[in-house]
Amino acid sequence: MPKNPDIKRVLVIGSGPIIIGQAAEFDYAGTQACQSLREEGVQVVLMNSNPATIMTDLDMADRVYIEPLTVEFAERVIARERPDGLLPTLGGQTGLNLATQLAEQGILERYGVRLLGTTLPSIRMAEDREEFRALMRRIGEPVPDSWIVESEEALRDIANAGIWPLIVRPAYTLGGTGGGIACDQDQLMEIGCGGLSASMRHQVMIERCLLGWKEIEYEVMRDANDTCITVCNMENFDPMGVHTGDSIVVAPSQTLSDKEYQLLRSASLNIIRSLQIEGGCNVQLALDPHSFAYNVIEVNPRVSRSSALASKATGYPIARVAAKIAVGLRLDEIPNAVTGKTLACFEPALDYCVVKIPRWPFDKFVHADRTITTQMKATGEVMAIDRSFEAALMKAVRGLEIGVFGLAGKRTNELSDVRIEAGIATPTDERLFIIAEAFRRGMMVEEVYAFSKIDPWFLRKVQRLVTMETRLRIEAGAIANLVDSPTESDPTAALIREAKALGFSDRQIAANTGIAEKEVRKLRKALGIVPVYKIVDTCAAEFEAKTPYYYSCYETEDESWVSPSEAELAATSAAKGESDER
Amino acid sequence: MTERVIVIGSGPIRIGQGIEFDYCSVHCVWALREAGFEAIIINNNPETVSTDFDTSDRLYFEPLTMEDVLHIVERERPLGVIVQFGGQTAINLALPLYEAGVRILGSSPDSISLAEDRERFDQVLLELGIPKPPGRTVTSARGAEEVASEIGYPVLVRPSWVLGGRAMEIVYSRDELRSYMTYAVDVSPVAPILIDKYVLGREVEVDVIADGEICVLPGIMEHIERAGVHSGDSMAVFPPQNLSPSVIDQIVRTSTDLAKRMDVRGLMNIQYVVADDVAQVLEVNPRASRTVPYLSKITGIPMIKLATYAILGKSLRDQGYEGGLQPTPPLIAVKSPVFSFTKLKGVDIGLGPEMKSTGETMGIETDYSRALYKAMVASGLDVQTGGALLATIADHDKSESAAIIRAFADLGFTIYATEGTARFLNARGITATPVGKISEPSPNLLDLIRNGQVDVLINTLSTDKQTEREGVQIRRASVEIGIPCLTSLDTARALSMAIASRASGHPFDVRAVSDYLP
Repeated sequence: MPKNPDIKRVLVIGSGPIIIGQAAEFDYAGTQACQSLREEGVQVVLMNSNPATIMTDLDMADRVYIEPLTVEFAERVIARERPDGLLPTLGGQTGLNLATQLAEQGILERYGVRLLGTTLPSIRMAEDREEFRALMRRIGEPVPDSWIVESEEALRDIANAGIWPLIVRPAYTLGGTGGGIACDQDQLMEIGCGGLSASMRHQVMIERCLLGWKEIEYEVMRDANDTCITVCNMENFDPMGVHTGDSIVVAPSQTLSDKEYQLLRSASLNIIRSLQIEGGCNVQLALDPHSFAYNVIEVNPRVSRSSALASKATGYPIARVAAKIAVGLRLDEIPNAVTGKTLACFEPALDYCVVKIPRWPFDKFVHADRTITTQMKATGEVMAIDRSFEAALMKAVRGLEIGVFGLAGKRTNELSDVRIEAGIATPTDERLFIIAEAFRRGMMVEEVYAFSKIDPWFLRKVQRLVTMETRLRIEAGAIANLVDSPTESDPTAALIREAKALGFSDRQIAANTGIAEKEVRKLRKALGIVPVYKIVDTCAAEFEAKTPYYYSCYETEDESWVSPSEAELAATSAAKGESDER
Repeated sequence: MTERVIVIGSGPIRIGQGIEFDYCSVHCVWALREAGFEAIIINNNPETVSTDFDTSDRLYFEPLTMEDVLHIVERERPLGVIVQFGGQTAINLALPLYEAGVRILGSSPDSISLAEDRERFDQVLLELGIPKPPGRTVTSARGAEEVASEIGYPVLVRPSWVLGGRAMEIVYSRDELRSYMTYAVDVSPVAPILIDKYVLGREVEVDVIADGEICVLPGIMEHIERAGVHSGDSMAVFPPQNLSPSVIDQIVRTSTDLAKRMDVRGLMNIQYVVADDVAQVLEVNPRASRTVPYLSKITGIPMIKLATYAILGKSLRDQGYEGGLQPTPPLIAVKSPVFSFTKLKGVDIGLGPEMKSTGETMGIETDYSRALYKAMVASGLDVQTGGALLATIADHDKSESAAIIRAFADLGFTIYATEGTARFLNARGITATPVGKISEPSPNLLDLIRNGQVDVLINTLSTDKQTEREGVQIRRASVEIGIPCLTSLDTARALSMAIASRASGHPFDVRAVSDYLP
């Protein structure tokens, strides 16, 4: 079906100021939506209170309103601009809540504004815990035991049932504000009461906590024609109990068997169909590592932080496609901008590994509680792409700008063994470094697993990185000799190549060998150990990609594109560059 | 043959380096492409527009470390690298890249280090006759005490290597200075400490664009909170509301002189403190700052585009601009910080020289108090037109607080105050009900807050340790219950003005940003 001709003017609501739980991802989504709608000849009226965004740029939309995101001001914008439609699913929870209020108070109806994309009943079904659970039961998707609580007395009744641990999630909040895990009555009362006041509806859900289960997310899309695809799936390094925004995340999933992958994929598609979402949707699932049992945790019927990550991880522009679906297009009518050959109904394929690590503000707030739970604390995140999990992890770590360039944390080597054990068991911003330190002290994967419940596959990778540190230290002398007379055939050269392929920075090689970073670099270049660049093309090189989006890796084949005229330039300036190198 | 330019992004969003630098990087890329260059971006933040593969000619999703960036430079052989739009992350790469033989486009690495090297910068100010608060760099605790007693307390202390105000404090006495030197920092010849006279005044900031010839000032922003609150945590208003023509003239002249002397190509941010009708320079940042997107929108001047073209060698005059302060559009815009304190247990919400906010909002109107109202409502502050106000005011703020609290009382607010504050207010004819301190038996002020009987809290920071410990608890209670807590009297005054504008009953209008601009 082509674009709906009745929709000429659309109001897009942004997500407001950057707060923990709502960062730049909604500027990315909103900017894409504006571009995508204008491409279809739709006029865009944009409303956001955040002046630092690109979406509020004067030429990004036809009309830009920098006004408070409240019903009062939104109504005035609507009265002035008279849009035909409102796109509610691109402004995070803030935008969605505002759109819901505008609809519920009859303002949209009064001004003849249609809610585009996913319908209000669908949004409500996905957001209201009870309705969502009822739907899941109807379609046979398992959900954890839970209770809806609206008073302190009800909290006490649950405490009396004696099921621990319990997870507390307030309804209608951002980034899990007011949530947490309670292991006894006191904790339940504290977290529960906090959650009640944080909730827009004075409502919290108490749920059996699936601590230790794997946490998996699927980004799925659906159009009005009921065509559904999975854009990608993502696996949390940290098992259940850590907010996904505070978790190290890897895409695609690394520890699932094909059966498990398909089981959860089918469930996600089943869910997006039953909710009749028109656009993008994020499904969070928990998987028992010891059986094929899984539970549906929650669904976000909108563009989210995870969808931004999935877009960058795959090259599939979720917000852009969602905006087109909202004005009536179907997945099989929307071209894939990366390949220019495939359509948006094509599921992306990845021939690399993506790792995201959250960026926490504890360098600023030194007195803050560094424990990571179900309430998000990170302000931002970094992503890294490489051919292996190890290398992507190392790239992400050094991209955090926390003064750490590998798995050696700032002061983790000073911790006592007891503190190390506690640090593995309790998630904090430093857990990854503490785990690495545990391996450095000879702890076994099984022990670390017993404390952390982090999948042994991930732990073995971390252990492998620590082993490489040790090998570099042992071979420090040989490497120093190599600096004096670089020989490509020397077995030590192979070790350096291996370290680079594992994502070790020169700085880290330097730290482990006592050789200056500059020397490591010089040696590497003398040995011809330099990165090549690969393309993120959404299709694992099945088609030729048009959009150049690159990542480095230490392999042999370079997919990077250089036009012929520039190859000439490269040759001339290469000569100059070498002399500049000194 | 198209030449290539690499733009360095700003990495992960963190406190002090937010989404604004993504705005700057993206606009630089767009300007480069428009100017006929191939724009290449390097960044590693998946949330951003800069890492959208549609934004640049080529996107490298890589860490922003010297090693990773240099590999890309070696492969792309660009005309040069632009580092002034990616916040501190990018600017920090200027010198190492330059030393590795890479051409830095825009202000030179030397010009950047001139701004960042305290001694050299002081020399420049001296040479140009530009006033600044007295202060020096010290390398020992004893040196710190000597300098402080020489310039007089209060002093602003901070480690020289720190950016974004970390570990920065206002110190009022020798005892406090000793405790700061002992507990907060490690001072040594390799880790010097900066000690400056703390000037109690109005903070003002400008972002200037220079091309080596002229210097364009799109606008001046006046902070609403007095000096001492980090610029990222201050509310700010454009155009300034309280500056004399003489001060504005000083700011324009000083900014122009500095840009010229430092040979700025592109953007520079300068912060001033104004006291006794003199504008003294606090600091300069040789790069695009947090306020650039906000200022670009309300002035209609595409600042990043101008700066990018200037970097590429097209003069500002050729771009249609004359030097100096640009005409002020007929609007008033207020920027308000937004905090995420509900998410961070154990964090003190009191404002000071260390930045704590995660984001910002803006309110645009033609009237100052109404712009304040919009900005505050947009920031999520629950602005009630009546209710109860609880005031706990430090001794040194008491006399100034009376007029502000009276304004709330006149708006119909019930006033609660701690014993001392209540006595002080009552003596000035403001009816205030005394409530017990935390150390006193229930019901004390904490109970009052937790029972939902308080709608606004004003709690100014005390230098008394015991009072301050209680202050932290009071402020956290306000976060948990979700009521506005104001730790600066300036914010409190602004709130009373905003409430008054709402209470006047005159309805609020909305306007597209372009409709405000001429």
